[in-house]
Amino acid sequence: MSKWRYVLVCGVVLMGSAAAAQSGRRAGYDVDFIGPPLADSVMQYNKESYVTYGCAYCHGVDLVPRGEAADLRQSAVVGSDVDGSAIVRVLRAGIPKTSKLSPMPQYSDLSDQQLNAIAAWIHYARRRDRLTTITRANLSPGNATAGRTYFEQRCSSCHSTSGDLAGLGKKYEPARLRAQILEPSALAGDGSFKVDALQDSRIAEGRRRHHALLENYSAGQVADLLAFVQGLN
Amino acid sequence: MKKRFHSRREFGKLVFAGVPALTALQGATLHAQSAAGSNRSRINGVQFGLQPFCYHDLVMTPDNRRTLINRLVQNGLGMVELHATWVEPRFAAAGVSAEAARDRIRQWRLTTPPAFYQSIRKEFDDAGIAIFSYYVNLDDSYTDAEIDAVFKGAKILGAEGCVGSQGLRLTERLAAFPGKHGMFMGVHNHANLSDPDALNNEASFVKALSFSPHVKATLDTRHYTAANGDCLEFLARHHGRISSVHLGDRKRNNGRSTPFGEGDAPIIPILRMIRDNQWPIVALLEFEHGTLRTGVEEVQLMFDYCKRAVA
Repeated sequence: MSKWRYVLVCGVVLMGSAAAAQSGRRAGYDVDFIGPPLADSVMQYNKESYVTYGCAYCHGVDLVPRGEAADLRQSAVVGSDVDGSAIVRVLRAGIPKTSKLSPMPQYSDLSDQQLNAIAAWIHYARRRDRLTTITRANLSPGNATAGRTYFEQRCSSCHSTSGDLAGLGKKYEPARLRAQILEPSALAGDGSFKVDALQDSRIAEGRRRHHALLENYSAGQVADLLAFVQGLN
Repeated sequence: MKKRFHSRREFGKLVFAGVPALTALQGATLHAQSAAGSNRSRINGVQFGLQPFCYHDLVMTPDNRRTLINRLVQNGLGMVELHATWVEPRFAAAGVSAEAARDRIRQWRLTTPPAFYQSIRKEFDDAGIAIFSYYVNLDDSYTDAEIDAVFKGAKILGAEGCVGSQGLRLTERLAAFPGKHGMFMGVHNHANLSDPDALNNEASFVKALSFSPHVKATLDTRHYTAANGDCLEFLARHHGRISSVHLGDRKRNNGRSTPFGEGDAPIIPILRMIRDNQWPIVALLEFEHGTLRTGVEEVQLMFDYCKRAVA
């Protein structure tokens, strides 16, 4: 092979590799089905566990179900699960009795670590879905009275309208305020390598509680909360 | 030293000029493979095919049919069980009620001319792929005329039978149809042991097969194993009434699907049983297990596993 051709071939290979890296494409990884790798490598491991053990085939990678499988974005079991244990219980036992064509299989052969990884992805994907859905919705007028009721029931054990949230309505524009309700910036960052943040028990507990809220918010509840919080001047 | 490239832009142009040539080369390869004929996936007397649920990323629509064909050729497969969703249009849409959509698809089935199915068959014929069976989710909403229309369309496609996962009650009704068209009605099992109407074990298969000699078993090795059935015993007893196996692996006791060789389904003995007895049972590869690989890569691994089993 002449030098000219050698350089050309190398160039084509390098260009191909660069393009593949940019798009997340690599042999043995179906980026079209799974999506590009996540920046958070632990969450990527959780996602790959969910896919590798076959959950995605029925429930969808991002929880958009295929066929007759349950919609985990709406599942009461997932919504009420705090630490993954409820999901893991279902995974271990399966759902053998069903009126559907095919019962959900049991995964009792998997380790606790593998099952917890699957549960962690389900929660993460549900939060992402809820966040995307509500954020894309138009800012509709909510009911401040209903928002106050929700606040008193779900938020007031940690937050105070005369304390940490005083004047919040003036601090942010509505869209930004909604974003703060959905995912407070003080708690942001699922990054697995932020050990200090992860070990801060207050932040960890706050994140856990807000994650649980986010997974279960309806667009109407968020609109009501927004209307209430906007009035905190 | 002689200057090779004037600029990075020129180098880029040169590289991208090569892309169409590579694409053309790939097309020529596909054509050459197609010329191999419909038995390209007949290995040592065992006819292999694919249940194309396997290409998980590929939505099963008529628009994606060309991609499906290309992938089958890429995997070296010459036979397929074609799901009706690769063929029929969809009328469900925003603003269209489920009832209206159902009526429209019924009308479509009753009025679609043979040429429609002939043209689809040609697409597969040209690629050297035989449509072995036509998978349809038949249910109580199908009128008799509509069921006949489905069988007629399937026959034009080249299918030897229609296959579905309907229960025993509906199978009894459907049993009267395939014989009229010189075809079979394949009954496909799942692992639901809580539904008395479900196809899930030997007894339920025996009952379904009793409805008509034109009813045949589409034995799903994964689900049969998960329902704690013995695939080898079933094959030994009922091979004359089995049209195909959906070949995949799963763990017993309603366990999960696994890559080939990691579950409890006796894939290798099944294939050798078919090979050694020269039974005309088509082995349709199917996987529902998880994988990070593309469908094409995974199907290739499965097919290679099977080739070694019957080598």
